[in-house]
Amino acid sequence: MKVKSLFLGDVRFQFKYGFYFIYLFFSILYIGLLFALPRMWREKAAVIMIFTDPSAMGLYFMGSMVLFEKSERVLNSIAVSPVKPWEYVISKLFSIGLISSVVSLAIGIPAGIVINPFFFIFGVFLCSCLFSAVGLMIACKITTLNQFILATIPAEILINVPALIWLFWYKKSWLLVHPGVCIMTLCSGEGAPLPALLVLFFWAVLFTVLACGTVKKMLRSVGGVKL
Amino acid sequence: MISVKNLNFSYTRTPFIKNVGFEVKTGEIFGFLGPSGAGKSTLQKILTGLLTGFKGSVLVNGEAIGQHNNSFYENIGVDFEFPSLYEKLTAYENLKFFASLYQKHRDINTLLSKVGLLNDANKKVSDFSKGMKSRLNFIKALLHDPQVLFLDEPTSGLDPSNARVMKDLILNEKAKGKTIILTTHNMYDATELCDRVAFIVDGNIKALDTPRNLIMKRGASKIAYTYSDSGREIKMEVPLNKTSEDETFLRLIRTNCLLSIHSGEPTLNDIFVELTGRQLQ
Ligand SMILES: Nc1ncnc2c1ncn2[C@@H]1O[C@H](COP(=O)(O)OP(=O)(O)OP(=O)(O)O)[C@@H](O)[C@H]1O
Ligand SMILES: [Mg+2]
Repeated sequence: MKVKSLFLGDVRFQFKYGFYFIYLFFSILYIGLLFALPRMWREKAAVIMIFTDPSAMGLYFMGSMVLFEKSERVLNSIAVSPVKPWEYVISKLFSIGLISSVVSLAIGIPAGIVINPFFFIFGVFLCSCLFSAVGLMIACKITTLNQFILATIPAEILINVPALIWLFWYKKSWLLVHPGVCIMTLCSGEGAPLPALLVLFFWAVLFTVLACGTVKKMLRSVGGVKL
Repeated sequence: MISVKNLNFSYTRTPFIKNVGFEVKTGEIFGFLGPSGAGKSTLQKILTGLLTGFKGSVLVNGEAIGQHNNSFYENIGVDFEFPSLYEKLTAYENLKFFASLYQKHRDINTLLSKVGLLNDANKKVSDFSKGMKSRLNFIKALLHDPQVLFLDEPTSGLDPSNARVMKDLILNEKAKGKTIILTTHNMYDATELCDRVAFIVDGNIKALDTPRNLIMKRGASKIAYTYSDSGREIKMEVPLNKTSEDETFLRLIRTNCLLSIHSGEPTLNDIFVELTGRQLQ
């Protein structure tokens, strides 16, 4: 099982490169903040924290993982190994999805928003995969951290702004086609969870497939030719 | 095992690799010898499927590069010219991770001890010296016991004793029937290790033969000797196959009057300069 090997490799990588430490730091900070806030704001704040942090971290962690692999030329070794592009993608998405789900529970449970654990965990996991897939696609195309941060801004706006609008002002059901709105629905326990989960699933799968294509191109051209 | 025909490739619009063709037999060590920037690594990257957009046909281990699938790499080992390792993982963790990507792999500790890294197995790669990284990178290529090995300057930056160890390991792989492509600009390594070498200059193969034939075809071996004639030291040269015709030389030998005598074969470097008009290093 190559996915298992890659997954374990990614987990070790994230541990050694200090990703888990950063997660731990932010979790403690966020939980502290939650309890400093007035009780009535706590739920909304927790939803935003989970949406912007554990799930969206995928975007940045994915970027830094791939950039490390590029700069240490490990990608060359992976490109000449039997690893298939989808195996590379899935193991990365799942490794980040797993830790994101754990951290989200750590924030969500004290905030009292985990009403249905199934929808909550799957929502966070899929959301994380979606963000990670987007991050992976961007990371494949760029070479420096600055380029990466610039390139993620449009992605952040596209995913975040409609979700925030929905959370605070405009609760029209057609907004549910947007993945950010779906995750808000699933985390806050407001609205119908099943359609939200399905829509989110669709987006996550779509971007995973797209990311596989990008990774395939990247692995075939680590020798230095732009396709 | 490897067959390249009418290969053309460039990173830019101007042609770089032009009409390259050669064959490598199973169990052979085939050398790419050439100055920096000649295109040795580029050729190797094409052969290992890391560069797309080349023209011509490239067959490696029975598969056409470009149409190969991922299991093709179960039998390909690549030692890149630069380390390709996770810097924050230890040597052992690196090897263990890469080993886990293949169906079979050799014993990690045995490999580590072969290149003298067993005691550093639990050190982070970022704390390794340049030579230690090259050695680790080298055994990483051997890890899954591949049939075809691509080694890009494996001995560069190594001290003589470690280079010796590595060359013995390369010969050992050959003895097991592995096919090896060895890139180098060290002519001594090429002469010692390679069954055949290709001289590569500006993306072209300028000559291709066994090191011995290349050397023999050109300038024959010579004897250089000196003797004293009324107080003056005189230097003379005679081709090795003409010594019996050199009366002075024979007389000097009979009368024990030689001051010095050396035989000299041209090196692969001399041949390279002669054929290509370029220096190797
Ligand atoms: N990724 C790349 N993009 C554009 N040009 C490149 C790239 N890699 C190499 N080149 C160019 O191709 C030429 C050959 O490079 P290559 O690395 O194949 O040389 P080499 O023979 O391996 O040299 P060395 O002995 O220094 O390793 C050089 O002119 C180099 O600038
Ligand atoms: Mg090179």
